[in-house]
Amino acid sequence: MADMNNTALHTLLDVLKASEADAWEVTDEEEKGWEFYFIRHSLDQHRTRNLRAFTVKVYRKFDDCLGSAKAKIPSDASAEEMRRTVEGLCSDASYVRNPLYTLNKPAVASVGADTEEIDLKTVSGDFIRTLSSVPETDTEDLNSYEIFVSAIRRRFLNSEGIDVISVFPSSMVEAVVNARRDGHEIELYRMLKSGTCDREQLTRELTEALTYGRDKLIASHTPALGRADVIFSTDPARELYCYFVSRLDTAMVYRGMSDWKIGDAVAPDNLTLQAVRRLPNSSWNTSFDTEGAPLRDLTLIDHGKAASYWGTRQFSQYMKLEDSFDVYNFAVSGGTESAAELRTGDYLEVVEFSDFQVDEITGDIAGEIRLAYLHQGDKVIPVSGGSVSGSMPELAKAMRFSSECHQYNCHLIPAVTRLKDVTITGA
Amino acid sequence: MKAPFSAYLRRIAPGLKELIGLLRQRYDYVSVLSSDSAGFSVSISQRAKSVTRETMATERGTVVRVCRNGLYAEAAFTGFDPANAAAAFETIAGELDDQLDLLNAAGVKPYETGILPDETRTVFVEMETSRLPEEEDISSLVDRLSAVSDKGMEEGKSKSLNMIDCMVRASSTHICKMFLTEHQDLRQSYVFSEGMCAGLVAGDERTDFAYTSLSGRSGPELFDSMAEKIPEVIRIAKDLVSAERVEPGEYDVITSPEVTGLIAHEAFGHGVEMDMFVKGRALGADYIGKRVGSDLVTMHEGALCAVDVTSYAFDDEGTPAGDVTEIDRGILRGGICDALSALRLGVKPTGNGKRENFAHKVYTRMTNTVFDSGTSTLEEMISSIEKGYLLEGMQSGMEDPKHWGIQCILDRGYEILNGKLTGKVVSPLVMTGYVPDLLGSVSMVSADRQIFGAGGCGKGHKEWVKVADGGPYLKAKVRLG
Repeated sequence: MADMNNTALHTLLDVLKASEADAWEVTDEEEKGWEFYFIRHSLDQHRTRNLRAFTVKVYRKFDDCLGSAKAKIPSDASAEEMRRTVEGLCSDASYVRNPLYTLNKPAVASVGADTEEIDLKTVSGDFIRTLSSVPETDTEDLNSYEIFVSAIRRRFLNSEGIDVISVFPSSMVEAVVNARRDGHEIELYRMLKSGTCDREQLTRELTEALTYGRDKLIASHTPALGRADVIFSTDPARELYCYFVSRLDTAMVYRGMSDWKIGDAVAPDNLTLQAVRRLPNSSWNTSFDTEGAPLRDLTLIDHGKAASYWGTRQFSQYMKLEDSFDVYNFAVSGGTESAAELRTGDYLEVVEFSDFQVDEITGDIAGEIRLAYLHQGDKVIPVSGGSVSGSMPELAKAMRFSSECHQYNCHLIPAVTRLKDVTITGA
Repeated sequence: MKAPFSAYLRRIAPGLKELIGLLRQRYDYVSVLSSDSAGFSVSISQRAKSVTRETMATERGTVVRVCRNGLYAEAAFTGFDPANAAAAFETIAGELDDQLDLLNAAGVKPYETGILPDETRTVFVEMETSRLPEEEDISSLVDRLSAVSDKGMEEGKSKSLNMIDCMVRASSTHICKMFLTEHQDLRQSYVFSEGMCAGLVAGDERTDFAYTSLSGRSGPELFDSMAEKIPEVIRIAKDLVSAERVEPGEYDVITSPEVTGLIAHEAFGHGVEMDMFVKGRALGADYIGKRVGSDLVTMHEGALCAVDVTSYAFDDEGTPAGDVTEIDRGILRGGICDALSALRLGVKPTGNGKRENFAHKVYTRMTNTVFDSGTSTLEEMISSIEKGYLLEGMQSGMEDPKHWGIQCILDRGYEILNGKLTGKVVSPLVMTGYVPDLLGSVSMVSADRQIFGAGGCGKGHKEWVKVADGGPYLKAKVRLG
């Protein structure tokens, strides 16, 4: 399964076995990447990345305590440098003693190795051709874009006998869209992550951004609405659902940053949220987490009630969870209304924020409005400026979401989410 | 003591120079940036402790920049063997040619650019520090930070706060970078440190996070004063648990130095990064020489204009550190620029070409971004406000250089009525506005000034680098929500 013909890794493993470490973990990560930077459609520059490093964590056991320390060791480090680093880590680990926990053990059932064949040239070519053919107009076009294509090879080993390997693609496009009218020009920003190039989705996302750019030019100032219903139907909506996921992270709960308990009603009673091992073309389709735990599907919220915590080994064990793991992909389901049904009555549909955020500790939401559509009766008015704010613990009680879903890389979420009585500051 | 330059970089330098020679036979321009930066980060709380030999800035690796026929390309890699530069040459040239094959097949045209200058220059800088992160006594540091955490818990409880935890973090990085070309050999070594002390406190209906920070271009000795942060953490925690929501609207405000720094960063930090001028992405390009703020607004940017986490001797393209007056008494004078953008714009680079790390591309980035001081006192400023807020604590910010919108998410607002602080606190706050309106409304500036360097800065939503920003107290008019 794993490439055993690897001198540097073998040297490191020998150093670890001969050290004072009572346990250890090694992640051997290689990244081969191609990058292309465009100004308009001219090539600014092109780049390659050939990176490899070992992330090493050593553990020291002291009665009912466990200490740990971590470092990144360069792949060209000499045996002596590796020995010095590991020795230093063993000392460091003895100073930070935490309650005892154990490392992951080899999975009973094989999770299967992800060893996708990734041709950087082919994937890069797909992106370049897709971006050069986005349907631009005389007044809406691409200002600049950056293409990042990587093949990640991650091998994880620990002193319990885990030795697993995963090879997966990870790509990203950063694009800036311009729109102009009567001598005035604006821009909108997109960061789109995926496994490889999904030509159709990429074109759709950027075409939508061009349309929003056109509307932003004719937007009037957002009025001071006080409280209003707000619809989220673009990428920032992910933040609302990431809040639910974060609150169930064992690291958050154990450290007192989240008070959510299993069985608590934490979301609308029709909302179900699942960690999923794979999502089509996600940039995180790997079979194990950073500590070697196999990924699997797991219901985190079941019909509005907290169903499972999740998290890395240390805090999960503190909370008596034996088979937990880090969550990368998740999917939300349970919407009983259509997107069209949610888009009725008066509401503000915010499609572009400067930077929409949900504080995972306080639940506060905040973001400046770059473009929204104010629906009042039969009128639809593009507006810009001002901000939305509120508190998720309060807003979640009356949250509504569509049965239709949309995937944003690692997250499959309702296409439309409606929050009631959000505070709106005018422009 | 002087922070010693990396032995690893000394060892590979001859091999890298050989590689430059090989590449120069094929390319019009070749430069190499190689980094070897070590450090540590220690996190202490009542519930978990950790230590890692990684920080945001630790790295080891090399990036080669080449130019041929007006097109620039880069290859970033780890694992350079100085005894076999020829192998590195073959790999780099071969892979860049593969990319060119693809680009030619796709009909892509280059953004043609001239050749960067390469005048003979040698720099060797080892900056002063009291201690080195790689030699720090971690055992003692863990003990001291644990004592700070314990003290925070005790102080919180003595003030009747429901303290869940007191978290302390300390990280220190010894930066070593080497920039080489056919005619340049630049080497620098310096240490910077940053820390955070925070209280997690439960109120009646919510949990809040009260934090303070410290930073400096210094060694781990910075953390010797960590305990002094406890009273501030407790004060902020008490304020947050009693905070109310703000009534949205436009207010007269006084921004604390931390909030002033966030405005500097978001307003005319990002707004005059001149790689954005090349792309036509910044409105600032059309406003050089024009008024963008009141007469009281003067702003500087550069690694030389303050001493903090990003006060280096030269940037990641070998350009010497600078000090740019961006705004002079309300008039926009100029921006900051990396070397490649400067070549394209026909201006001089300002020493602001930075990479997230060796594996990332250079962009124009900020270093120290600060408003100049004025003459008022904070007391005079408060007494001048009929109804408004004193704003403290930053969470995040976002710019819109094309439209000059600004978003700042702030921690706390202290109500001012009839020239006096009332004791009422509002939190959190979304401060929004139009940059020239905000800076144009600045009507008082305090005489003191503070710099903060514990945060990071992204370009868009990626490319995270260390920056510092700050200034004095400003009186201005803003929208709060």
